[in-house]
Amino acid sequence: MTEARSETWLAPSVPVLLIAVLIIAGAEVGGASMVKFKLELARWARGTMLARPDTHGLVGVRDVDEQILDEALVKFDAGLRLFHMHAEGMGTIIIVSTMVATTLVRAGAFRRAIVLLITVGGAGYPLGYLLWSALIPFYGIERGKTLAEWMVWIPFGGAAIVALWMLAGALALRLVRR
Amino acid sequence: MTFGLALALLAALVAPAAAHHVGTWTPRDNEISTNFKQLKFSLQARKFDVARRLYETGALRRELRAQADKLPRGLDASIRAALQAGDPASAERGLMVFFVALIRDLALEADRQLAEAGAPLAVRVVTGRKFLEAIWRYYNLVDFAVTQRDAKAAAAIRLAFEDAEESVKGAPPNPDKMRAPLKQIARVCSGVIEASSTSARRDS
Repeated sequence: MTEARSETWLAPSVPVLLIAVLIIAGAEVGGASMVKFKLELARWARGTMLARPDTHGLVGVRDVDEQILDEALVKFDAGLRLFHMHAEGMGTIIIVSTMVATTLVRAGAFRRAIVLLITVGGAGYPLGYLLWSALIPFYGIERGKTLAEWMVWIPFGGAAIVALWMLAGALALRLVRR
Repeated sequence: MTFGLALALLAALVAPAAAHHVGTWTPRDNEISTNFKQLKFSLQARKFDVARRLYETGALRRELRAQADKLPRGLDASIRAALQAGDPASAERGLMVFFVALIRDLALEADRQLAEAGAPLAVRVVTGRKFLEAIWRYYNLVDFAVTQRDAKAAAAIRLAFEDAEESVKGAPPNPDKMRAPLKQIARVCSGVIEASSTSARRDS
């Protein structure tokens, strides 16, 4: 790699960019849908929860149940909002961090591993919030959270974190070797 | 050794992935407690016409009428008359009786549900906690009014509440121990309702 190359920012590959842009587009569609179908979503979630009183600990007393349902609906809505925000953020992070890796990490296999982990981890992580929201009416807040954690947040979020540390390590090494 | 270290490092790096943000939830007023607060503030400001309108059209009166068979006879009429006459103390007493009756019914229902031995322990603990939260939400609204009229009853309710809370929040939680304080809450509430209704009849 020449000095001239290192001073020029290199774009990541098109599939990586496509995934990042798709996740940002998904965030925008998700945000708009949340507003457009707010009432329908809340009605569906409420109806689904009422059909599963044991799952949600409903006791048949309005003064008790309305708080349980309110908390679940707030968390259901929070999951959708957090998907919107994280998908926007992670899409941008994928573009920026893979660009840094593509430009500044010299070792081919190491660079490919960083790009792959950031792309897969970054794109998958926000979907955990969508999954959590979808699971709340069926499994409750905590059980839904545990499922989303082990199915999405920990593996994908972990991949993104490991990749970012690998990138940080590569950059630090480059600085030391200068 | 190296493999173990690598695993430990990986675990340390990945651990933050489990600490994702999932939002917060704060219990909100329901339409009855919201209506009560509006009424209370109107009475404090001596805006009796506003208070009367809020009572006539609000969720509190709808609920009061729906529960009329469990409440002292003529409670609705006495609250309306107090608001009409610009008598905040009598109106507050009527409203207090309504909430104390709601608390009594919640305590009795909680006791009934906790007595059902079929449910798993974890479910009974959660049920007990949820009932206590609902009881406290209502009691918190009228604690001052109850204390003003019967300080001993107010202290008894608070102590019984703490005992009940201790039994489901302590380690290990024991929902069966919650039943006696719940019965105590119901008993004291019945006494407050009876005493307030008697004094209301005497004053009228």
